[in-house]
Amino acid sequence: MLFLTIKMYFSTLLFILSISVAYSQDRKITSILNPDCNACTDFDTLLYIRADGAHDSIHQVWDFTRRTPTVIFLISSLNLTLNVTWNSETPKFTFSEEPKYSFAIAIDKIYEYNDTEDNGHFDDRYPQRPYPLNDLLWIRQDLVQSNNEVKLIMRAHHLNDYQKGTIEIKLDLLPYQDYAVDLPHLIHTSNSTLIDVNLVNLTCSEDYQASRFALHFLLVSTDRKNDTMNYTMRKSLDDEHTPGVFEIVEIVTPASRRRGVGGFLQFRPVAYTQPQRGVSVSTSAHVSHFNRTELRNDSTLKTFYRHFDRDNVLVQDMVVSFGDAADGYYKQQNYTSWSFTVGHGTPPKEGFSLFVIMIISIGLGIPVTLALSSVVYLVVRKYKHRNPPTRLLNDE
Amino acid sequence: MEDPGLSTSVSTHIAPTSWCHPAHKVHRFIALLLMCFLCFGSYFCYDTPGALVDNFKDDSHLNTSQFALLYSIYSWPNVILCFIGGYLIDRYFGVRLGTIIYMTIVLIGAVIFAFGVYVNAFWVMILGRFIFGIGGESLQVAVNNYVVLWFKGKELNMVFGLQLSFSRFGSTVNFWVMEPIYRWVANYYGGYERLGIALFIAALTCLISLVCGLILGWMDYRAEKILGRQDEQANEEPFHLKDILNFKSVFWLVSVICVAYYLAIFPFIALGKLFFERKFDFLPQDANTANSMVYLLSAALSPFFGILIDKTGRNVMWVIISILTTIGAHFMLAFTFCNPYIGVISLGISYSLLASGLWPLVALIVAQNQLGTAYGICQAVQNLGLATVIILAGIIVDKYGYLMLEMFFLGCLFVSLIAAVLIYIIDSTGSGILNMSPSMRDSIKETNDSDEIANLLENEVETNREETDSTRQTDALESPSPVMQRNIAQAHSDRIRSRYLSQILPNTNIPDRQ
Repeated sequence: MLFLTIKMYFSTLLFILSISVAYSQDRKITSILNPDCNACTDFDTLLYIRADGAHDSIHQVWDFTRRTPTVIFLISSLNLTLNVTWNSETPKFTFSEEPKYSFAIAIDKIYEYNDTEDNGHFDDRYPQRPYPLNDLLWIRQDLVQSNNEVKLIMRAHHLNDYQKGTIEIKLDLLPYQDYAVDLPHLIHTSNSTLIDVNLVNLTCSEDYQASRFALHFLLVSTDRKNDTMNYTMRKSLDDEHTPGVFEIVEIVTPASRRRGVGGFLQFRPVAYTQPQRGVSVSTSAHVSHFNRTELRNDSTLKTFYRHFDRDNVLVQDMVVSFGDAADGYYKQQNYTSWSFTVGHGTPPKEGFSLFVIMIISIGLGIPVTLALSSVVYLVVRKYKHRNPPTRLLNDE
Repeated sequence: MEDPGLSTSVSTHIAPTSWCHPAHKVHRFIALLLMCFLCFGSYFCYDTPGALVDNFKDDSHLNTSQFALLYSIYSWPNVILCFIGGYLIDRYFGVRLGTIIYMTIVLIGAVIFAFGVYVNAFWVMILGRFIFGIGGESLQVAVNNYVVLWFKGKELNMVFGLQLSFSRFGSTVNFWVMEPIYRWVANYYGGYERLGIALFIAALTCLISLVCGLILGWMDYRAEKILGRQDEQANEEPFHLKDILNFKSVFWLVSVICVAYYLAIFPFIALGKLFFERKFDFLPQDANTANSMVYLLSAALSPFFGILIDKTGRNVMWVIISILTTIGAHFMLAFTFCNPYIGVISLGISYSLLASGLWPLVALIVAQNQLGTAYGICQAVQNLGLATVIILAGIIVDKYGYLMLEMFFLGCLFVSLIAAVLIYIIDSTGSGILNMSPSMRDSIKETNDSDEIANLLENEVETNREETDSTRQTDALESPSPVMQRNIAQAHSDRIRSRYLSQILPNTNIPDRQ
């Protein structure tokens, strides 16, 4: 058992070293708000970010101009330039050369549903009401554009005339690998963006006794139209970064699954019901199946993917819902906060932190050494004392 | 300390023909049943937060650290009360009144705790647990006094085994029934109120225990009248702190194991339910069952392991074996997704084995007249360790997760392993008595028959009885009895085994001094 521990410990150490080497590459980022837009006001937000690495560029478009929160990733050679042209306040995109790959997500609707079975999952059978987010007015709360971080916080009020509340979306690009500051401490890299969605004080419909809210996602990638996104839930032994949560959910595009060059969503199946995130205020996040769907004609996604062959654009949707059985539904806390990362490549794998490794070394290494030396001492001693017939007589 | 059945020399000549007679077997076993249920309430209520941990987090919105404080606030008072709880019984209350007073304190604590949950006031919950703790450990001392009073020279060892089993049984039943009770209450109440009501129902067990205490008090009073028995617990001197300095280093190593080993057991059980739910996707009810396996196994196995160690001796070896299996069990829980029942069951087995092997060690190391103090120290440092570590464990889970918590437990276990190996080394360089078989110990003992090691409890009975006879008329409960001279020569060598076995439990409350 002891030898097994030591062996495991060293293999872990090697694993972590290899991870840290693999992800140490950073990118140089530049960002422009509403590029080349003359008619844009404070109510128009399109953030274009370019992250140049050694061999390729990752272009990101964070768009709220058509009011549907949209994040587009475009992978290209370093030579490609992405131009945005504006028709009044609606953007159009052109590329200077053929991009390598593209994928995107959009949260186009929020569902309110009556969770009659009280398990937190979303099901088409439940009574439900969609609230399209392109009906909302998004206001820019915060914008950080620097070489080390690009951060955008957008906020919208009122689902409709009757239902109040706040929806807040935070997008954060930190071009180096680390664990996010807040729970659930997801890993961000220069290839990915950290996104928080907060549903605050939403008014529940009076005719729903068991009202919960769920996010409707559009997932788009430049893969074969009849291919499919891939969902996996990994279990990890290490819950150091997200105490009490041992699972990681990864949704990868077909290209990412096959060759590791596509896109991914990564998150812990956990959401929080208080602004101060903690284990005690955590609840479960659930993901539905994928369904094939079409892009709306008036959407930024449709505009963007017009440049690609229709047969090579995969569009699917999914629903992420929140809650556990007997938690009192959304109205119990009137708050749900959930985080995920969206990025390019293979989803990053978490490893034991240096702190844990130190604890393991001190906590196990030294006692193991001591215990082993004690055993050696005893064996030697026993061997030396073998001649007298019994210890009892010896003592006498 | 006199056994009713042995007291024919004192006054009684009534033949125990009817089962109503205190010396009759049936009568004594009714008393045994009452003694068992006397502890049931406090053990049941002690673990209600553990059984309803999710509900405490969801209904009362306690974080893990706050939740853990519910347990540590129980342990804190007992860091000191281990010393003075028994002393108060001996000096002032007497066992009957003492039991009733402590049981009442336990009941009040349980009710205040339930009220605190009902109104969702965290400080009231903490106050309730604190009061509950004041009564809880002292009650254990009082009940052990009862056991010695009624069963010494009869079925004492078995009764102690049963007592341990039954106390574990209380926790186990709690883990089984609280979830269904909570669900039932949830039909009528919501939010934290349903949790409060469920805890009020749990507090009823303390009321039942109090009733048992009253009946037992009456039975004891009656037995004292019929058998002419007198409370002879007035013979103790207060323990002197300087005695502690004379303890051997091996004793302190045993104390280290007492602290370090139990740190890897009790906090794990306190936080275990969520661990099984989160890591192994257990349903709450299944997680409770898995979590209660440790107590359940120790309830079932303690008497048998007691007999095993009684037959084989070699306590240090058994202690080392049980620490190693515990390490294996925690390794399994931390680093694999294997069925956690395997880990928990081996945890339960090794925990019972360690308890049977470790506690009697103290009786072999420390002189008879210091045993009470020695056990007090073991209990106290253990409580001190548990009180601090349960808070620490909560913080570790909240900040660093369950893997780190398991690492911490493994660290504790390695410390106790080192201590056990050191005991083995020190012992084998000396007399080696700690790791001998019973027959080897007997042969040593025969050569030292007039030694202090033969300073037996049974001797006390003889001497105490004489003293009691002389002091009975004076009605002086507090007589310090400086005249106590032990007639060591009367010691019969076969009694050392039963004296030694009677120390299996920490709270036996053997008089500290003679």
